[in-house]
Amino acid sequence: MRNLNLSRLSKPIILVAFVVTLAILRPSSFLTISNFANVLWSVSVIGIMVCGTIFVFLLGGIDLSIGTLAGLSAVTVVEVIKNMGATNESVIIGVLAALGVGAAAGVVHGLIITKFDIPAFLVTFASQMVFLGLSMVITNNQIVSAREPVLFTAIGSMKVLGFPLPIYLMLLIAVGSWFVLSKTTFGRGIYAIGGNPVASEISGIQVKRSTVLCYVFSGVTAAIGGIVLAAMTQQGMASTGTGYETQVITAGVIGGVSLLGGVGTVSGCIYGAVLMGLINNALNLLSVPSTQSGLVQGLVIIVAVAFDALQHQDQSRRKARRILGRLGGDKANESPAA
Amino acid sequence: MSGLLLETRHICKSFSGVPVLQDVHFDVRPGEIHALMGENGAGKSTLIKIITGVYAKDQGELIWDGKPVQIDSYQACHALGISCIYQELSIIPPLTVAQNVYLNREPRKGPFIDYATMEKMTQKLIDRYDFPLKPSALTQDLGMGQRQLVEILKGLSSDSKLLIMDEPTSSLSGKEARSLFKIINALRDQGVSIIYISHRLEEVYALSDRVTILRDGKNAAVLEGDQITPKVVIEKMLGKAMEETDESSKLLRLGEGEVRLDVRGLTDAAGRYRDVSFQVHKGEILGIGGLIGAGRSEVVRAIYGIDKAAEGQIVLDGRPFAPSPCSSIAAGIGFVPEDRRSQGFVPLLSTVSNVALTNYDIIHKNGLAISAVDERELGKRAIDKIDIRPSDPDKEVGLMSGGNQQKVVLGKWLVRDLKLLIVDEPTAGIDIGAKKEIYDILDELASQGVSVIVVSSDLQELIRVSHRIIVMRKGSVVREFKGEVVTQAKILAASQGVEQSEGNAQ
Repeated sequence: MRNLNLSRLSKPIILVAFVVTLAILRPSSFLTISNFANVLWSVSVIGIMVCGTIFVFLLGGIDLSIGTLAGLSAVTVVEVIKNMGATNESVIIGVLAALGVGAAAGVVHGLIITKFDIPAFLVTFASQMVFLGLSMVITNNQIVSAREPVLFTAIGSMKVLGFPLPIYLMLLIAVGSWFVLSKTTFGRGIYAIGGNPVASEISGIQVKRSTVLCYVFSGVTAAIGGIVLAAMTQQGMASTGTGYETQVITAGVIGGVSLLGGVGTVSGCIYGAVLMGLINNALNLLSVPSTQSGLVQGLVIIVAVAFDALQHQDQSRRKARRILGRLGGDKANESPAA
Repeated sequence: MSGLLLETRHICKSFSGVPVLQDVHFDVRPGEIHALMGENGAGKSTLIKIITGVYAKDQGELIWDGKPVQIDSYQACHALGISCIYQELSIIPPLTVAQNVYLNREPRKGPFIDYATMEKMTQKLIDRYDFPLKPSALTQDLGMGQRQLVEILKGLSSDSKLLIMDEPTSSLSGKEARSLFKIINALRDQGVSIIYISHRLEEVYALSDRVTILRDGKNAAVLEGDQITPKVVIEKMLGKAMEETDESSKLLRLGEGEVRLDVRGLTDAAGRYRDVSFQVHKGEILGIGGLIGAGRSEVVRAIYGIDKAAEGQIVLDGRPFAPSPCSSIAAGIGFVPEDRRSQGFVPLLSTVSNVALTNYDIIHKNGLAISAVDERELGKRAIDKIDIRPSDPDKEVGLMSGGNQQKVVLGKWLVRDLKLLIVDEPTAGIDIGAKKEIYDILDELASQGVSVIVVSSDLQELIRVSHRIIVMRKGSVVREFKGEVVTQAKILAASQGVEQSEGNAQ
């Protein structure tokens, strides 16, 4: 029954508490399918991006470039569409080009980090500026609009069974990411590298190759995020996606990702993203003035993370007691009560 | 002063209702070296933590210099004149030796730290104990052995009456350890009392005036002078008679049969080993002896392929072999690294996941998806094979005792078909019970035809497990022992470059 302890349930508890509270306060506007669709739609880009960036988090790395990389991808796709006359082929080529940009960025990040052993923080911080700069050069710092063709705008807003396409895209990527992380040799290796890179290397895991691949995943999901953003807003510009890196990191941390590596799940990250969306939604529905919303948002996040941490602390305190017990005697360890 | 410096009476301590210390008595006289011994889990660390104020005792009293005292913090313990040199290094790498030694006790000139005086004070200490250190050196540039000396210097710097040393030699070379013993003896002569905790029995015999042995949280014995013999100490620790009491010599085998591994002229680009050649036969355990820094670990790392040798050839089963961890694992080579904590296992992961790490090639997959059932089976097999405790396959390895962590590291190799297993310091810092189990497993592997290379600085261990022994010194193989009676003295002499006479190991 160890899977049913309280700490495992703290996330669902917070979510349910949130939903129930809002349902009581604003029953008519909150408890509608269209509102749920809206909440999920609003966090879909964060959700998509965090599913790739979690690979980097698990390594103990970080990718600060995903925001402006999403911008560069958005700019790439809308420029291709504009220059090819807004045909359906232009959408396919534009999307592939944007994905290529994301993957290439990931390869470059991975290679620099592994070959030169430079902290990921510095590498991706620098490339964050490079990507922003590139987008500005490409667009001449202008907004490039893309209202056509329908094939493109549908990516951002077409509804299937009442829910917009990006939500399905988020779920699809989340499932894929979950599968890779928990079911494949590569994914298991990522957790091992994050926990102890030297032991992983000695155990025959290709640490460098895996590292590069993780940054590629992060780059590709950033690109998908950028494409979706462009499709949603029907335009692309250098500042598209700016600031998303902080939101993605926040979603991950709320979801239980350790920035030191080795700890975190895809479901946790999606939970983090959804909780952020719910908070925003609640502020809207409760008509909190926008001047105060940042303040409230920050405080709610702190409370949610603290509640979650408290549960884990209980668990880790028990663990600590067991360790202390072991220092004194193996018996403490073997007792069924421990 | 004829009384006792420190006395603990009727100490009891439980964790979560499980008693770890029961009515323990322990006393230290002024100016004696008192060894505290016992298997892992016997309660040594808990007792020390009660003396140093880390844990509160449930019952009992502490008497310091004839007066009952309360020690409820490290500051209180420090104020009495007790210093503890921890096994876990408490050195801060980016600081200098002097900054580390006087951390939080820096001499001041007005509001500012007086660095010049601090370095002078440190130099004085260094001179007094003749340590090979410089006050201005950054500790991050020092080797592990030297860092340990900084730690000791820190303990000595506060004019303690009682110095507690927990495994002080675990990362020292033979030379460094010998100079430490000199220092310990000199300190005793100056009237300082020392509580000495070590797994290396020979150190305890060489140093101690008295030995207190704990077993299962209770007093097992206090031995003094001539009573301290290996046989008695081990019997008291284990609570039973030893089957083999004397392992200081052994008749080695000749080293015959089919050659499994042939190492030819292995040379390192950085010069840490030169022109190293040797063979390992099928079903043979080859011991590699030598001092720390002789290049033994570097050679076995190159054979497994973690680092590359600049020159030389490695031939496995008659075929030239270019090692890398991946290809070595595929070829049937296993490797248990020197430092299990930093290289051996992933602390956050469970036994199952750690065992699976090297064995994904033999775990069943449905398409790309790893079979969780098969993975678990493999973990359980490892647990059964080597008796990992706790036997819960989901237990995080980081939470286990040292011996069991090492069993996990070894266990992941035991579930696959091996041709050659390389183990580097396989039993460093683990208790006698677990040691014996690991030796038994190595013996069993050899009897099944697996070749084993054992690198060990523990002479007793080297003699106990090896069929044949080579000794390295300063990067070269200097001596091979086979088909003859080998003693600790002979190995030690070869490691130190002394042509052996009928010398003494001690």
